[in-house]
Amino acid sequence: MAGANVVRIGIMSFAHMHAHGYASCLQKLPNVEFVGIADDDRSRAEQMANHYGVRAFDSYEQMLASDIDAVIVTSENANHRRHVAMAAQSEKHVLCEKPLATTKKDAEAIVEVVRRSKIKFMMAFPCRFHPAFKRLRETVDSGDLGKILAMKGTNQGQCPGGWFTDTKLAGGGAVIDHTVHLADLMRVLTKAEPARVYAEIDNHIFRGDFDDTGIITVEFTNKVFATIDSSWSRPKTYPFWGNVNLEVIGTEGVARMEMFAQKIDLYSDKTGRHTYEYWGDDVNLALIDSFARSIAQDSPVEITGEDGLRALEVALAAYESSKLHEPIDLLN
Amino acid sequence: MQRVAVIGAGTMGRTHAEAYARMPNAELVAICDSRLGAAQQLADKYSARAFADINLLLSDVDLDLVDICTPTHTHIDYIKAAAAARKHICCEKPLTRTTGQAMEAVRICQEAGVMLFPAQVLRWFPEFRKMHDLIVSGAIGTPVVVRTSRCSAYPRGTDDWFADMKNSGGVALDMIIHDYDWLRWCFGKVKRVYARGLYESNIPLTDYALVTLRFENGVIAHVEGNWARPSGFVATVEVAGTEGLLSYSSTESVPLTVELKAKGEQKAGVTVPESPVSKSPYYLELEHLVNCLETGCKPEVSAEDGLEAVRIGEAALKSISTGQPIALA
Ligand SMILES: NC(=O)c1ccc[n+]([C@@H]2O[C@H](COP(=O)([O-])OP(=O)(O)OC[C@H]3O[C@@H](n4cnc5c(N)ncnc54)[C@H](O)[C@@H]3O)[C@@H](O)[C@H]2O)c1
Repeated sequence: MAGANVVRIGIMSFAHMHAHGYASCLQKLPNVEFVGIADDDRSRAEQMANHYGVRAFDSYEQMLASDIDAVIVTSENANHRRHVAMAAQSEKHVLCEKPLATTKKDAEAIVEVVRRSKIKFMMAFPCRFHPAFKRLRETVDSGDLGKILAMKGTNQGQCPGGWFTDTKLAGGGAVIDHTVHLADLMRVLTKAEPARVYAEIDNHIFRGDFDDTGIITVEFTNKVFATIDSSWSRPKTYPFWGNVNLEVIGTEGVARMEMFAQKIDLYSDKTGRHTYEYWGDDVNLALIDSFARSIAQDSPVEITGEDGLRALEVALAAYESSKLHEPIDLLN
Repeated sequence: MQRVAVIGAGTMGRTHAEAYARMPNAELVAICDSRLGAAQQLADKYSARAFADINLLLSDVDLDLVDICTPTHTHIDYIKAAAAARKHICCEKPLTRTTGQAMEAVRICQEAGVMLFPAQVLRWFPEFRKMHDLIVSGAIGTPVVVRTSRCSAYPRGTDDWFADMKNSGGVALDMIIHDYDWLRWCFGKVKRVYARGLYESNIPLTDYALVTLRFENGVIAHVEGNWARPSGFVATVEVAGTEGLLSYSSTESVPLTVELKAKGEQKAGVTVPESPVSKSPYYLELEHLVNCLETGCKPEVSAEDGLEAVRIGEAALKSISTGQPIALA
């Protein structure tokens, strides 16, 4: 179904496992064409390209020089800056995996590179597209909950292992990996910016040189306070990879969102395990659809690099706070 | 046989009175409440005597134990009066409104040679005892990160005394002191407290607090207290360790649910979930106390435990007020 409105997309690196989710969405969506894959690891590019029936490029340069319109950057966090800059140089639009970068400097550089280019840059915060979150947002916006007073979020998961525990590539451990999703959702709901961050962070689950446990408190410019649990505290035997839960306390009521509650309990003697089989919406579909539409229609992206930067700042401040045992003010 | 007077004839006073009345080795002999009518009504039910003045009661009635179930800010005065009369004391949580008062209470009772038993009842809730025992047995390896949550609608005491945050301490003291005590029982000493909450927000009949505790053994605990939940009570706990995770929710521990169709004028039917146990945690708690008095054993919860729980609550309130983490010596 090729046509003027079909957006041609390539994937830059399969380092992040979310690349698989995005790849299968690229195959399903009618308004995009999954062109190919490039990767620092040439054999991985070939293997994945075979698997998805797309072209394996020899290099990022080769893919960026082709007639694709856009790329999805799913490299290690520390490589986002370099890969986004390459894509911008070649005037390819970018959907960038979270977190935006591993340092504030890199994140700001990405925002700046994008600002100076003509490309569309979208942050991959797929949770924004979950129907339960959309309903929560509508409920908050309708005023049914009254004024928001506080929020409580968890994005707990199993430890993904691999480079996620290599702080040079990931920028940290659990906290940088998980804090940004909820920081973003909370910004959307309160329509305010994080102003102050306090955190207790440690590594006592795996005792590695990366953090695996974090309880982060965020105060927003409008005085709403919230906590985010971004621990890799789901054991290997847990029935699911983790959760994204968010509770909103308002003057007129409370709301609870459990994003992956739409599930079937499966008890299997074949695997010797109990698992949750999620059957709700695939949020990545809506994410990529939104990205493709803003390219096809030349309209603003729904989630910007600044959004990515604001969320990252919360995670970075959390690390600083935990070291100093002091709250960190963000607005100065 | 322990002769007991209950002070305060409200929700907790009635609960404690009923427990003593059923206990074979306790005798409920008097009820005291500043509302004499309330004292009388409860006393009549158990053929006890009613008083409005504790000093009259103490001079008139032969007693072993004074059980204080009045609003929190009045606890210290009753502890002083009972200790002066050399009576053993049971006191509802929070032991006192402030740490200073709690320290004074501990000292006074020590000097008077009487027992001061803080009614930290969570230790007698079978689900919390089970979780404690599992954790201590190493079922989840070394515990690392903990979440507890205790939610309800805003409590409405006599004359709405909970609504005066200065007297009740709000949700961060009154409600989640249960969890502070349970967490101390499981994980030991708290090193640092950080909290955000609505304690000073002056929103009528609404309070909410999110408290982070750092324990000396490294455990990080997130403690939620919610007095803004329209649908009523729920408690949840989750403890993640190096080799597992345990989780509990009161809403999922319901062996019986009775649903009745709407009747007459009523628009909606009624659903009543029940988690029945043969002996209530309050009964078990007070039975333990009475048995200790009978046999001279040390109770499982000490006056110092009551004091430390208040100290954590007060630190949480101070953190809410100052925006700073509070180190506990
Ligand atoms: N362990 C628990 O689960 C639990 C639950 C609720 C309350 N509590 C605690 O128990 C205590 C009582 O709470 P409650 O819910 O029963 O309150 P309540 O308002 O139901 O009862 C308090 C009673 O004390 C009386 N009173 C008030 N001031 C008095 C005074 N100065 N002298 C004598 N009597 C006085 C009132 O008339 C009332 O009858 C509080 O410290 C509260 O925090 C514990």
